[in-house]
Amino acid sequence: MSRTVRKIGLFVFLLAWVAVAIYGYHEIHGSSSGLTTITIGYQTADPVDIARQRGDFAKKMKQKGYHVVFKKFQDGASEMQALKSGSIDYARIGDTPPVTALSSGTDLVYVASGSSKAKGSGILVKKGSGITSIKDLKGKRVAYTKSTSSHFLLLNALKKAGMSSSDIKWVNLDQSAASVAFNKGKVDAWVTWDPMTATAELDQNATLLETGENGVSSNRDYILATKSYAADHTDTSKLIINYLEDDMKWANNHHTKLITMLSKSLGLSKKVVKKMVERRTYAMGKMSTTAIKEEQEIADTFYAEGLIKKKVTIKNHVAD
Amino acid sequence: MENVSPVAAVTPKKKKMNWNRLLPWVLPVLIIGGWQLASSTGFLASKTFPSPVAVFQDGVALAQAGTLQRNIAISLYRATMGLLIGGSIGFALGVLNGVSKLSRNLTDTSIQMLRTIPHLSLIPLVILAIGIGEPAKISLVSIGVLFPVYINTLHGIRSVDPNLVEMGTSYGLSKWEIFTKIIFPGALPTILMGLRYALGVMWTTLIVAETIASDSGIGYMATNAEDFMDMETIILCIVIYALLGKLSDLIAKNLEILALGWRQAKEAQQ
Repeated sequence: MSRTVRKIGLFVFLLAWVAVAIYGYHEIHGSSSGLTTITIGYQTADPVDIARQRGDFAKKMKQKGYHVVFKKFQDGASEMQALKSGSIDYARIGDTPPVTALSSGTDLVYVASGSSKAKGSGILVKKGSGITSIKDLKGKRVAYTKSTSSHFLLLNALKKAGMSSSDIKWVNLDQSAASVAFNKGKVDAWVTWDPMTATAELDQNATLLETGENGVSSNRDYILATKSYAADHTDTSKLIINYLEDDMKWANNHHTKLITMLSKSLGLSKKVVKKMVERRTYAMGKMSTTAIKEEQEIADTFYAEGLIKKKVTIKNHVAD
Repeated sequence: MENVSPVAAVTPKKKKMNWNRLLPWVLPVLIIGGWQLASSTGFLASKTFPSPVAVFQDGVALAQAGTLQRNIAISLYRATMGLLIGGSIGFALGVLNGVSKLSRNLTDTSIQMLRTIPHLSLIPLVILAIGIGEPAKISLVSIGVLFPVYINTLHGIRSVDPNLVEMGTSYGLSKWEIFTKIIFPGALPTILMGLRYALGVMWTTLIVAETIASDSGIGYMATNAEDFMDMETIILCIVIYALLGKLSDLIAKNLEILALGWRQAKEAQQ
């Protein structure tokens, strides 16, 4: 190859590189407007994700003068971190990350609570494993994810069965690792939530030994904000709750569309998503007293187990 | 040194090259061929490990939806900005510490300590300090790129033959001239090697960076697919990383050949 050819080739290459990078820059920094921006953190297939994909939420907020930006998170811990640092204004999150964050002194408030997902959360065992009650778990290896709703569910289920937490072998795994471990029989049971439970039940020959029903764990969705933000933006919070409520009603009444939407974003078969959707309802509203009580129970259980170092009083952390 | 014209020295050896140029691709082609064969014969379960064709089809589908190009472009933008910022800082520090003993004594130890911190562990700090926007991702890449450039620049400058510098001084060259005519060209091979290494680090750090509150980029595509065990996309992302890595290496290599023409000319004469 001659030098000139090499030079031209390299030049063209670099030019293409820069061109593509500039295209990427424009893709990220799309045009912005004079609207007030609010940033909402969410996780895949949660109520906020449904509102995001449906699109009505952002439209209605825009009419009220807000530009809504959605930020996706992989897990609750990093979402809490982002909320704390002010990178997001609101966070849609599960029931345990707020408790852990509050105990570490982060000044958060609960803005809204969702409906119970108790039927889709629970303890999975393999069919024909011989484990038929919680008592049978004695001495068995149970996979869970530390500081998530699965952690609380397992603690509470053991407590209700009159067992202590030292009766089983706790195996802390993240969800994808736990799925593999459970599938390969490296653990005897797996505590998780939908869509993982539905997937396991339909594709991995598993059955639910115990669900979150009967007060074991409601595993609700919550929307949180920092105390100072919520105090200054009570109107914004009201709008968000109202519009999310509309989307949740839509979700309850349009299962076919919802299932198509979620199966696409989750990358799961419609069969699995159908099971998940049909055993729960969607709702979003102001913090209810039941929700406050449930959160308090999680806080107390975690404190008693030494998982959090400070006592938390949930009712002091609810937005007015 | 920089006045030597290399053009005349390189005379092409034509036909014989062909086989040698194919040689690097034999292994990848064999691996992909074997993998496809194993999938088609059912040796590999298609559900847990998809075939190359399935991965390719997944790529085509994603490209048709527009997500593939978009994510690649966004990743490339982040990578380039990170490389420019981190590379400049690393180069500047390397030059400074290579030339000034005071500066080296002052900062080198600290930089060496920072260097070994895993990028993953920096994420919480970065989120707290810079947030979760683009600057956070770009600064993580910058941090990753900074060190290889710094170390190689420093090493390149420090290992320039002191006799050459002395010769320059006795020829009455100014400090600036000594730097541009002796030290910098002498250090250039090592610096470019650092750049080449940095290009690799750039991509690996980007994957980590793109897991922070991201909704775009190849790293996001990969982690998102991982969440739902979408093996086709996971493997597609791995292949894209490999190709991008090879591409950036190709650029660095050609840059090396062009910038270090004088060295090749010398080798050709020997």
